[in-house]
Amino acid sequence: MASHSESIIREPLITGKDITYAKITNDVLRPVENMPGRAWWIGFSVASLGACLWVFAVSYTFWYGIGSWGLNKTVGWAWDITGFVWWVGIGHAGTLISAILLLFRQNWRNSINRSAEAMTIFAVICAATYVVSHMGRPWLAYWPLPLPNQFGSIWVNFNSPLVWDVFAISTYFSVSLVFWYTGLLPDLATIRDRATGLRRKIYSVLSFGWTGSVKTWQRFETVCLILAGISTPLVLSVHTIVSMDFATSLEPGWHTTIFPPYFVAGAIFSGFAMVQTLLLVTRKVLGLENYITMFHIEAMNKIILLTGSIVGVAYLTEFFIAYYSGGEYEQYTFLNRFIGPYWWAGCMMYGCNVLMTQLMWFKKIRTNIPISWVLSIVVNIGMWFERFVIIVVSLHRDFVPSSWAMFYPTWVDVSVFIGSIGLFFTMFLLFIRVLPSIAMAEVKLILKSSSEQAKKKLLEHGNLDKEQVEFYKESLTSFDSVDITDYQKL
Amino acid sequence: MDSNKKYWKGLEELNKTPEFVEKNKHEFAEPIPIEDVLTGGGLEGRTPRRDFLKALGFGVGAVTLAACQKVPVHKSIPYLIKPEEITPGVANYYVSTYDGQAILVKTREGRPIKIEGHPSDLLAKGGASAQAQASVLDLYDVTRLKNPVKNGGDAGWAEVDDFVVRELLAIKAAGKKIRIISSTISSPSTLGVIADFIKQFPATKHINYDAVSYTGIIQANQNSFGKAVLPHYNFDKADIIVSFAADFLGTWISPEEFTRQYVSNRNSKSLESKKMSRHIQFETGMSLTGSNADVRIPIKPSEEGPALIALYNAISGNSLAGSKGLNNKVADNAIAIAAKELLAAKGKALVVAGSNDVATQVLVNAINSLLGSFGTTIDLDNPSLQYAGNDAEFVEFVNDMKRGDVDAVFFLNANPVYDYYNKDVVDGLKKVRLKVSFASSTDETAALCNIVAPNHHYLESWGDDNAISGYYTVMQPTINPVYDTRQAEQSLMKWSDNPAKDYYTYVRNNWDKNLLAKGGLSGQSGWETLLQTGSIKETVKTAGTYTFGRDLNAVAQTILDHSTALTADNKTEIQLYQSVALRDGKRANNPWLQELPDPVSKVTWDNFAAMSPSDMKKKGLQDGDVVKIEANGYSITLPVLVQPGQAQGTISIAVGYGRTVVGPVGINVGKNAFPFYSLRNGTFQTSASATLTATGENSPLAQTQTHHSIEGRNSIIKEATFTEYKKNPAVGTGKGEGHKEYPNLFWQKYERPTYDWVMAIDLNACTGCGACVVACSAENNVPVVGKDEVRRRREMHWIRIDRYYSFNDNGQGGTTKETDIAKLEDLDHVKVVYQPMLCQHCEHAPCETVCPVLATVHSSEGLNHMAYNRCVGTRYCANNCPYKVRRFNWFNYWNDSRFDNYLNNEHTQLVLNPDVTTRFRGVMEKCSMCIQRIQAGKLKAKIEKRPLKDGEIKMACQQTCSANAIVFGNASDPESEVSKALKSERTYYVLEELGVQPGVGYQTKIRNISELEA
Repeated sequence: MASHSESIIREPLITGKDITYAKITNDVLRPVENMPGRAWWIGFSVASLGACLWVFAVSYTFWYGIGSWGLNKTVGWAWDITGFVWWVGIGHAGTLISAILLLFRQNWRNSINRSAEAMTIFAVICAATYVVSHMGRPWLAYWPLPLPNQFGSIWVNFNSPLVWDVFAISTYFSVSLVFWYTGLLPDLATIRDRATGLRRKIYSVLSFGWTGSVKTWQRFETVCLILAGISTPLVLSVHTIVSMDFATSLEPGWHTTIFPPYFVAGAIFSGFAMVQTLLLVTRKVLGLENYITMFHIEAMNKIILLTGSIVGVAYLTEFFIAYYSGGEYEQYTFLNRFIGPYWWAGCMMYGCNVLMTQLMWFKKIRTNIPISWVLSIVVNIGMWFERFVIIVVSLHRDFVPSSWAMFYPTWVDVSVFIGSIGLFFTMFLLFIRVLPSIAMAEVKLILKSSSEQAKKKLLEHGNLDKEQVEFYKESLTSFDSVDITDYQKL
Repeated sequence: MDSNKKYWKGLEELNKTPEFVEKNKHEFAEPIPIEDVLTGGGLEGRTPRRDFLKALGFGVGAVTLAACQKVPVHKSIPYLIKPEEITPGVANYYVSTYDGQAILVKTREGRPIKIEGHPSDLLAKGGASAQAQASVLDLYDVTRLKNPVKNGGDAGWAEVDDFVVRELLAIKAAGKKIRIISSTISSPSTLGVIADFIKQFPATKHINYDAVSYTGIIQANQNSFGKAVLPHYNFDKADIIVSFAADFLGTWISPEEFTRQYVSNRNSKSLESKKMSRHIQFETGMSLTGSNADVRIPIKPSEEGPALIALYNAISGNSLAGSKGLNNKVADNAIAIAAKELLAAKGKALVVAGSNDVATQVLVNAINSLLGSFGTTIDLDNPSLQYAGNDAEFVEFVNDMKRGDVDAVFFLNANPVYDYYNKDVVDGLKKVRLKVSFASSTDETAALCNIVAPNHHYLESWGDDNAISGYYTVMQPTINPVYDTRQAEQSLMKWSDNPAKDYYTYVRNNWDKNLLAKGGLSGQSGWETLLQTGSIKETVKTAGTYTFGRDLNAVAQTILDHSTALTADNKTEIQLYQSVALRDGKRANNPWLQELPDPVSKVTWDNFAAMSPSDMKKKGLQDGDVVKIEANGYSITLPVLVQPGQAQGTISIAVGYGRTVVGPVGINVGKNAFPFYSLRNGTFQTSASATLTATGENSPLAQTQTHHSIEGRNSIIKEATFTEYKKNPAVGTGKGEGHKEYPNLFWQKYERPTYDWVMAIDLNACTGCGACVVACSAENNVPVVGKDEVRRRREMHWIRIDRYYSFNDNGQGGTTKETDIAKLEDLDHVKVVYQPMLCQHCEHAPCETVCPVLATVHSSEGLNHMAYNRCVGTRYCANNCPYKVRRFNWFNYWNDSRFDNYLNNEHTQLVLNPDVTTRFRGVMEKCSMCIQRIQAGKLKAKIEKRPLKDGEIKMACQQTCSANAIVFGNASDPESEVSKALKSERTYYVLEELGVQPGVGYQTKIRNISELEA
């Protein structure tokens, strides 16, 4: 990723004038090195209240049993597994950004990968809490692990997708954590170098003695590439395996071969939406508009549009196959999503995920920050309902009509879910206070080639195709972080 | 030997330097700063890191050990002197009798834990009702009285005896009336004790008072033939049965016996000989019997009489004075068809009516007489003694009390304060000097008595019974009395100064003198034989034929007057019935019965007002909307429930609910409907006309099934008509329809050379009564969860009876889809099918592949096992079960204070089957095919060094089924009963197309209806 001149028709990845390496460091580390502002405290108070609610609701569940949730003999999974799949899905964007986009040399990822990866880790933590708390006997949560034991020859059931899930999620979490932390090393060293006293001690331990020598950088790059290589299959495998929890079962509405690609697309879809939700606020509050620019926002919106459309095609395929298969239970299940007692959940799913995201075809909408933010939330609501529809609406009316039942959540169900969101935000807010929310080192890499000021230098040099220059200028108009008047005289 | 060698450790010692001498004075060469440490400075000194770590290590270790939970200590006391016959771990079975039916009581380590029908029982031939199954739980009811009660306070027996005897003698001297009120007593020895009591106190009269009375039939037989008896019906001899509101499969007289008889003409064996009885039912509410009928016509209570008159007219060819056609065209047609078929089957026909009205029953007698039923399907010479209640006598008693003529009254198994229709009993009791109740736990009547002399539970008692004339059963105790109770007969003997020293002696004497000889037995050996066999049967008298010869015009007039009275002000007509689970409400404190879903409505823990769908729509009511029902000057509020098949303009309400003085289980469950009864011509009537007003409240009912149609899913329920069946026995099963068989690519076929346990369930034999559900709960320690949890759809039953309605759309066949049903105009003509559903023990079980921890696995004998200890509770197996038979322990039902009402105390838990573990919270459970019974059976055969015999192992559900609808056995044995049953052309497997290869085969439901009626 050496510095070189980049074509003028590419939009800048860093905007603003007089951006220097030092300014990047100062900008990014402002929240880390200063006391937090009011906005942070308000956010943190609300989020930690949510986290407390989560602790209370989960403890209540552990004390009294799963019966405190609204599940019944017919609907054995509901908000628990809905929440689990939702959080795992959200996590996927981080891995996609850090691994696949790195391999494809998509430099725009450099501004958003840190937060996205952090989000991945927190989302997987939230998901993992569901894995444990949904168990009837959570104190035996280690039994699905293939541990040597004294019970005789008892082993786990390698046929069970839940065991695959255990492997998938634990691998995913550990690889993501290592990858994220490795990427943090140079930035931790930067903090260390600027800090004094106890903070300096802490960050020097955390930075693993980073020296910044050429050799260190070279190894760092190599490790990152290797980890990206390891992570890449995980982006596809984790949600594939999660989808197999459903796809390998007999349940109409679950027993579907399209699930793996459909779930992966859905996961990236919801993950990018969550990144969008977080970063649109973060960039404003922390003043990082120059690093997370309109280009990033639009690029993510395009991915949301793409994956949302893939999900839409998957929905259509499901309906077609249900019709074409002639299977009466399958057909009923899909009809039931619209005409059954949970028709409203079906409408939320299809409406939010397919209809609303199609708005992204319009550039005006893709580049409108408030609308993007609202849509990103709409997508995550839609994706929650997608899992709810797949899980609850399929289960509640399956083969034998005598057992058809409704699911009504209890206050504990709701509290565990809302609490998990609180937990997530608590962790995220702590993260932006103590660690750089933008990968400084990686952003600095592209400062000389892809920043607005580098492009401006190209313009000042002249010798560029007029049309290309006009195109470039045109593209800048949508940026909220670019002073367009600078370009009128050029 | 002296030695003057000197050993020295160093030159210092050898040379005795002054430094050495000085140092050697002390134990340690260098001074230890103990003083420093113990005086102030030392204690304040900083702990060195090493010491800190040592202390920390020790401290953590010690605290950890101290914090380790102690293993709970369960004290079990071994038998120091082993009682004869009791081997820990081995069950003993004793014969006894329940409601006149011979039973076997299974005891373990001296405590009765299960009731099983006696295979040689005359009535049910090994079957047992839900009530019989549940009766064992009453023994362990903690709300039973633990000692006698005098004026509301605890008392001793001596005190009570003194008081009662003194009072009785005073009353005798004063010449006032003494009354013994009991529900029907058919025990010869109890009747003997009462007779002796009457001898001692001649002013005594014994009155049989049944909450649900059959006086009408008895009186009608008196009027018609001069025989005041309840006949013994033979449904097995009837080719055609026409019933007017008699729920003979559910609650009427002797339902277990009638179920056995009825099914014998409809089961596989009968069908294979191309024979099937036909059953037409006219009734108001959908009863268990009506739901099994081939043709069911909803009629209002007011139409019942006119319909019978119409039937009489059609059969006799006469026309009774005042008779006119019904306003109900469908019923009119049905009457015509029924009359034709009845006449064609003369001598093999039976008409029964559930009414307690004498006139109606006289008319039924006339019809049966025309059909030649007396002597064939109705036996007046070997009558049933199960009900002998005399309504008029009881009413007279109430009037006597009110007049102040009665000074002493004894209540034995009777609770008129609760179940008499008006409050006169309460008023009358105030004027009675001595009121004694034998209730074993305080009930509404006992609460108003001076003395409660708690009776033994029947499992603690000696006794006998005589349900059918000539059939005597013996009752023997299976446990020592748990509390300080005394058998009622013993109390009566004591108070009447009976010469026999105790009731056991009395029973022995009675049998020696009067009864043993009837069974060809005598003496001690005869008695011992009786205690082995449980019953004796006298030679059956030949049933005589009786011809009805009275004038019917007056009778018809009475019937028509009654009908007019019901319809007079055009109100809603109420029909009162007994629910199959709770019957007359005496067992209201039994959680197994409260949680047993009503067979038709699937409602638990409540009674309700059943209403037809069109009435609901007209009144704008939804399920669970509470309405106020007013009739006969009494009103209650009840939730309504839509009941397809309910006659329009009527509601049905179950009696037996709304107990106010009862243990915690039964209290405030439903509302009391007995006060809607009325007295007419000396008998209690079960219909009334009422006004309904909506209260605007809604109280959701706890139903175990909330979707009622099969949605056209004919791989779950398969049925056909008898006509079709005769042409092709495999009709409806999908066999021979040219489906391609695909090779089995993925799954290994397992060889099961020795055992392959499977089950066959005949949908045409199952009546849906639900006795199997209670039997299973008792056998397998299935927890009771209570109304709220059932409402959340969390009942734990391992076997359930699915019930589906289908509707006849103008003779266009069955409409079974919810969306189509919504469009139907006519919702009166509903067909019902029952399907017992339990774990299917699939050969390729979908639950097994998904369990992450291998908690559910397949056995080498074809069973699907559940290892509770291994289960972590992901519930994935339940989600993946297509039959939805897996049940999750949402809470720790056996040890959670919120489930205190049920089985959550040490005493009641003694009823648990020690061969089956109770399941902890968070664990999945399901039907195990009574694995403990299979193991016990195999073990027994092994000990006896013989192969296991077919039929030796019976499932709890199979054993209790009076209809023999369930057959269990070894599929690897081609000669076994189950192998033969599964070879039936009617056999199909539920959801066969999924390829899970269920181990439970079902036989199609066959309805005896012509194509036109289908």
